[in-house]
Amino acid sequence: MSKFHLVRRADARIWRTLLFCFIGIVISLTIGAVILWVLGIKPWEYYGKMFTIGLIGNKYGYKSIEGLLKIFVPLLITSLALSLSFKMRFWNIGGEGEFLIGAIAASIIAFHSTGTPNFVTVLLMCLAAMISSGIIGVAVAALKVKFNTNETLMTLMINYIMLYVIRYIGETKADWNFFLREDSKRAKFGTFPDSAVMGGIHFGKFNLLWSVIIAIALTVIIYIYLKYTKHGYEISVVGDSSATAKYAGMSVGKIVLRTMFISSALIGLAAALTVSAAGTISDTITNGVGWTGIIVAWLGKLNVPAVFVISILISILQYGCQAAATQYPAIDINFADLLQGIILFSVLVADFAANFKIARKEEAKNA
Amino acid sequence: MEYAIELKGITKSFGPVAANKNINLSLAKGEILALLGENGSGKTTLMNMLSGIYMPDSGSIFINGEKARINSPEDSGRLGIGMVHQHFKLVERFTALENIRIGMRGNGRFIHGKDVRKKIEDTAAKFGFEIDLDKVVANMAVSEKQTLEILKVLCYGAKIIILDEPTAVLTVQEIDKLFAVLRAMKAEGHSIIIITHKLNEVMAISDRVAVLRHGEYIDTVVTAETDEKALTELMVGRKITLNIDRPVIEKTHPLLEIRDLTVKNDEGATAIDHINFYIRGGEILGVAGIAGSGQKELCEAIAGLRKIEEGKMIHEGESIVGMSPKKILEHGISMSFIPEDRLGMGLAPSLSITDNMILKNYNEAKGPFVDRKSAREEAQKVIERLEVVTPSTETPVRRLSGGNVQKVLLGREIKSGPNVLITAYPVRGLDINSSYTIYNILNDEKKKGTGILFVGEDLDVMLALCDKIMVICHGKLQGVVNSEHTTKEEIGLMMTGTLNIVNKEGKTDGIAKDSAFTSDEEDKSV
Repeated sequence: MSKFHLVRRADARIWRTLLFCFIGIVISLTIGAVILWVLGIKPWEYYGKMFTIGLIGNKYGYKSIEGLLKIFVPLLITSLALSLSFKMRFWNIGGEGEFLIGAIAASIIAFHSTGTPNFVTVLLMCLAAMISSGIIGVAVAALKVKFNTNETLMTLMINYIMLYVIRYIGETKADWNFFLREDSKRAKFGTFPDSAVMGGIHFGKFNLLWSVIIAIALTVIIYIYLKYTKHGYEISVVGDSSATAKYAGMSVGKIVLRTMFISSALIGLAAALTVSAAGTISDTITNGVGWTGIIVAWLGKLNVPAVFVISILISILQYGCQAAATQYPAIDINFADLLQGIILFSVLVADFAANFKIARKEEAKNA
Repeated sequence: MEYAIELKGITKSFGPVAANKNINLSLAKGEILALLGENGSGKTTLMNMLSGIYMPDSGSIFINGEKARINSPEDSGRLGIGMVHQHFKLVERFTALENIRIGMRGNGRFIHGKDVRKKIEDTAAKFGFEIDLDKVVANMAVSEKQTLEILKVLCYGAKIIILDEPTAVLTVQEIDKLFAVLRAMKAEGHSIIIITHKLNEVMAISDRVAVLRHGEYIDTVVTAETDEKALTELMVGRKITLNIDRPVIEKTHPLLEIRDLTVKNDEGATAIDHINFYIRGGEILGVAGIAGSGQKELCEAIAGLRKIEEGKMIHEGESIVGMSPKKILEHGISMSFIPEDRLGMGLAPSLSITDNMILKNYNEAKGPFVDRKSAREEAQKVIERLEVVTPSTETPVRRLSGGNVQKVLLGREIKSGPNVLITAYPVRGLDINSSYTIYNILNDEKKKGTGILFVGEDLDVMLALCDKIMVICHGKLQGVVNSEHTTKEEIGLMMTGTLNIVNKEGKTDGIAKDSAFTSDEEDKSV
């Protein structure tokens, strides 16, 4: 007989969640510190570099901000897109696959764009990516609506299919394969012509990419969309109770299809902005946003402003870990991933602990 | 008197809310005590402390005269307390026998099948249960499941039995059977606490009645020395009349006529089988039947939510067969269905009252945005008119108590001004006060000339409220009776299929004399 059991806390309070998350982060940093110390690195120095994302004492500090934003934009848009479908209780875990489809579609435009103006090319890349990702999203939604297939499995499988598609493209030397560099003997992804590389606004040396501005605008639009429009209202009702939605005369199938199209198309857009900012494509272009986005969406409780803030925090964590790791020969990027994993895990546990408590079952004294 | 249970000064709070305040209660050995109180008066909380689900913040519990600490359901079982919950706790895929067996604590590691069966059969015979031990729970009717639950706690050796609203899901005949079992248990020296809202049942079965109000203990009275009116006053705290009004209104032509309607259920079996009926403006037509006789499918078919296999539905001279739910709504037919879990259909539980108000007409607003301003005003109006208890219009419906949830639902349905209102189980699980508010709302609608289809459970209420009652059994019409000239017993017999009066004395029930169907169509449908 178990002596303990879980009880949902009657009062969920924001300060408790924050406090628990803070404790969780402290614990995970302590674990990280032990590992660093064993490896002969001074933990406080490492963490100092990590939390300042290598800004302090660095005359190329603006580069750090640019790098951070390149991580932030796809993560934010993907998390928002996933929140959209999660709000409808449609478990779209195919962010990775949808991202890759968008990235490939955008790259096809990019590699054929020599000569077209930059603005037109980038716009076409975005459209191509949104349409192709959107179609895949709709296909999965249609199977769900029509045959009640399990969307979790379907979207999950798309991730693997697309991962192998991009690997195939990346490793196959052939005449048709315009993705690869022609001047290289080894199979290697080519770089986009300048017409397909995104520009931005220059503040001195710092280059604020257009994609950042688009991402922030999207956040506002999605916030309004979910909160104030009829579509947003329909999404909440379908997510809450599809029986009720049907009863109210909503055509649930149409709403599911539409929302999944928007959700996947947004991920496609994130992909197009990412490849355009990077000026190339690769099989690691997603940087795992399809997965991390799920965590961000849930930590933010599908609330748009919260998702925005958490995307920033996770981006700082990711970029900071990488930036710090590159400065020590004893550790590499894998340590950064490890540390991120520990921190995210403990934050999720903290979130759980803030909503539930472990109550002790007292042994019966009169037994 | 020797007491099986004595509660002294029990207090239990959930956060800032005190569910039970300083409660004193006693249950004598071999008596049936009714626990009476409105929704949210703390009855279930109190009983959950006896069954080890909650622990009191303060106060003491004495079982058979000895001070007891009940920290878990196991402790409660060891002390001989068994609780039959409102929502059954059974494994659907298991047979009756397996369900009883999983909770048995033998001395050794294994329990011998034969011994168990013998023991259960003996217990069942002793108290007069009729049960097939090898039937799988999923195939059982509600009353069978309940019988199994009671048998289960008896087999575990419970001497004190708590039943939480056991009659809510039973028919008149089944309730009689249950009461016979309870009396047999009492004769064997068991002590019983029964929670119920229905005063006639309290009067019929209990020896004493304990009354709670707003978490406080009010009084315990001897049943033989009181009456329904006095009990209501104790429970509500003020005098109220117990009569349900049935205003007589000039009836209009048939608003909705249904002919030969056949509908299938989710499993593809025939749920509604060639039913005829009609509703006139200014009347309430009751629908009586055992749970699961096709009520849900009937409501869904009229609202356009379920495919119609066969038959006709004419509303104000126009066929509504094959119309979308939205079209039917625009036609003026409004349906509200309160399912067992109360929230499943009609409301979005996580959304606010405001958002639930516009569920059916959010699309009427111009432009891409939802009009929350007028929704909020409507919510405010419904809250005021129907006396919904809520902190604000923005409170999620899920956080409201059952009665208030139902008021919100009904309030929304009538605000659109329908001329046919279909309402299923609108007072399900409600206390007396809230139920009367709902009856008044329905009567007000009736006075406006609305035709109302009232799918109900409580025959007493239906006889008092409805002008006519149609009875269905296994999806077949058994007849339509006038509430003035029928009895509960007659309806009971019709509900079980024993009596069918559809074609009595040369007339056919369910077909209006001034039908909107032309004789032409009449020929086709025959």
